[in-house]
Amino acid sequence: MASRIGVYICHCGINIGATVDVREVAAYAGSLPHVVVARDYMYMCSDPGQEMIQQDVRDYDLNRVVVASCSPRMHETTFRTVIEEVGVNPYYFEMANIREQVSWVHSTRQIATAKAKELVAGTVAKASLLEPLEEREVAVTPAAVVIGGGIAGLEAALEIADAGYKAYLVERQPSLGGRMAQLNKTFPRMEDAGALVVSEMQRAMEHPNVEVLAYSEVVDVEGYIGNFQVKVRRKPRFVDAAKCTACGKCAEACVLAGQIADEFQLGMAKRAAIYQAFPEGLPATYTVDPAHCLLIQEGECQAGPPCALACPENAVDFDQQETESTLQVGAIVVATGYDPFEAGRKPEFGYGQYQGVITALEFERLAAANGPTGGQILIPGTQKAPEHVVFVHCVGSRDKQIGNEYCSRVCCMYTAKQANVVLDQLPDSRVTVFYMDVRAFTKGGEEFYDRARARGARYRRGNPSEIFWRGDKLVIRAEDTLLRRTVEVEADMAVLAVGLEPGAAGQGVAQMLKLSRTGDGFLAEAHPKLRPVDTTSDGIFLAGTCQGPKDIPDTVAQAKAAASSALIPLSMGKAKVEAIVSSVDQELCVGCGLCEAACTYGALSMHPWRGIMTVNEVLCKGCGTCSVACPSKAIKLGHFTQKQTLAMLDAILSL
Amino acid sequence: MPETRERIIDVGDLEPNFRNEILAEPGGERFMRCFSCGTCVAGCPVAGMTEKYNPRRIVRMALLGMRQEVLASEFVWLCSTCYTCYERCPQDVHIPDLMNAIRNIAVREGHVPPAFRQQAELLRDHGRLYEITNYENQRRQEAGLPPIQERGDEVRRILVRSGVLEEVES
Repeated sequence: MASRIGVYICHCGINIGATVDVREVAAYAGSLPHVVVARDYMYMCSDPGQEMIQQDVRDYDLNRVVVASCSPRMHETTFRTVIEEVGVNPYYFEMANIREQVSWVHSTRQIATAKAKELVAGTVAKASLLEPLEEREVAVTPAAVVIGGGIAGLEAALEIADAGYKAYLVERQPSLGGRMAQLNKTFPRMEDAGALVVSEMQRAMEHPNVEVLAYSEVVDVEGYIGNFQVKVRRKPRFVDAAKCTACGKCAEACVLAGQIADEFQLGMAKRAAIYQAFPEGLPATYTVDPAHCLLIQEGECQAGPPCALACPENAVDFDQQETESTLQVGAIVVATGYDPFEAGRKPEFGYGQYQGVITALEFERLAAANGPTGGQILIPGTQKAPEHVVFVHCVGSRDKQIGNEYCSRVCCMYTAKQANVVLDQLPDSRVTVFYMDVRAFTKGGEEFYDRARARGARYRRGNPSEIFWRGDKLVIRAEDTLLRRTVEVEADMAVLAVGLEPGAAGQGVAQMLKLSRTGDGFLAEAHPKLRPVDTTSDGIFLAGTCQGPKDIPDTVAQAKAAASSALIPLSMGKAKVEAIVSSVDQELCVGCGLCEAACTYGALSMHPWRGIMTVNEVLCKGCGTCSVACPSKAIKLGHFTQKQTLAMLDAILSL
Repeated sequence: MPETRERIIDVGDLEPNFRNEILAEPGGERFMRCFSCGTCVAGCPVAGMTEKYNPRRIVRMALLGMRQEVLASEFVWLCSTCYTCYERCPQDVHIPDLMNAIRNIAVREGHVPPAFRQQAELLRDHGRLYEITNYENQRRQEAGLPPIQERGDEVRRILVRSGVLEEVES
């Protein structure tokens, strides 16, 4: 079938038209081989523009269409649909970008017009060699796995479950709840953060469509959108969760009771070797800490383990084994969260050296009713109420020295909240906040910050250089940059507003799923504006702080968006997969395996006995790395064949 | 007290290209990162003694193009290069290197403070910042230390090759 090409040059208003002589380019395109009709138009993407193409396809019997306008990222799908509607295979469409690549980056009309002509010539040359491709569909397993049981994972799982689909919620810790369970109050409404998250945990536990896999980790993921196999390893609790009533008698009996640093209380309280993460933790069961339990570590514990003897339900079971199961799911939501910045990495602030210097998360525990002091703000060590509390913003954020250039987005607000908490509980105390800028952008944030100042929190602009000890006081030394004076503030408690870093636990998950990261180390969304919860892998979505620092409302919003996106393939029951994929010429392939090593999507595998490579067309993203890696030119990437690309280059370079 | 005779800045007096001069000078490459947090001032031993020296303010003045005021100032010469700010600056501005960059520009414009000139002259004449006389070596001998000699020629060659001598004597 001879190529009959229609070429359309877009003015894009003045975006292209002001810099490129669009008429001249259209006239030139009309002179190119195989071109039957060439036109220019103000907005090709508009309805009249689209109808013009469709009319020409009918009138001139066109079988290929080229549009020279903006980036294919913008309108490639638009125009593919346009020609598909009039019976032309959508892959007979090709686009030349004369906006981002020409008019927006060149100022001389003559040069811009010449370059536009070259790009159009190349695109027409390629278009004449295009081959039709078929978009395929795969069936979708109507279930999803959510990795991470903090507030993001809980909300995503509940949303999917409420829509009527099965949601597996995998949490590596003994209890659901994540970081939010450790927080005291929310800003700006001062609600009980723990109670809020516990109610969602409760809902997840009771929801018929949610299956909670706590104390479990994802160890392997295979498959593709619609058909993922997620292998989950369930760690032994050495307690039968079905029998355990969380009465706590085992922990009281434990030989090590009160001797092991309690992770939930950030080491500010001690627990036994058999423990519940926190009193409201769910699933409501105790767990043996295998790193400390004497029976596990040393093979014996008294005459028989006292925990087992104390249990009225006979729930302690040291014969429990690790188990593995494979979940079949159609979509994955990653909600692996953050880690607080390790304050010791800023040694000038004396964290770990002076008792009164604590992190903001430690402050949350101190102020929380289920914390180590029952909600009393007391200086660790002296156990006295502080008279003067100093807060330091931006510890581990906006700091190029330690490699975190980004703003952690929550510290300004949680510091204002903590200042309010101090003034509520200790009305006679003094509060000073050292800040560089106050970013109170969350809804109600500025008003809340105002309230903290109105109640007496002294905000001083300047980042402290150091905290040291003088007499029996901490001294925070800073420049009050508004006064242009160096100040030394004496205090008995200094709270470091530590920033958020990508969660260490999520790194392994990211590697398993081959997710990319942005420069800050957080997981990368597919597009910052239009695809904020998608990843570049179909069927895998992001929720919460694994994607970047955010507060609870933003986290919940993103979790619901991720769930909603995951629900699309689940509810459709099928998913479209990329039509532009690689194929292997069996005659040429020598089975060297170089392409398999080059493929980042795991789409290539050696045929078990024929010694040649095979392509999993569902996993293939059409990136073309394999076709470049192949030394015998046996791999062809559809829509970007060597023949097509060389024709394009020839046309451009011959001008 | 801070200088009280500061008046309203006349934008017409500013030289916006000053930042480019600094950026082009070795040591000045990072100075536009400064977001004026004041960490440098808070930890600075010099700023702790005199309000004349405020690195944050110097960076600010340089950024805005207050060229003459910066180059003719006494304050750029007050940095003791202890590097505390270098260690703690969250924007990694390398302030001591910046001060050296500004000093280099200042010297090229003929702004050499008298104390610095005297030091350079001592180096030229004696090869060190203190003249070595019999007295010093006698004291060293009493302390069981070997005598030292001035090596003015070597140091002078360095001063000539690096152009310092020319700047100082001009």
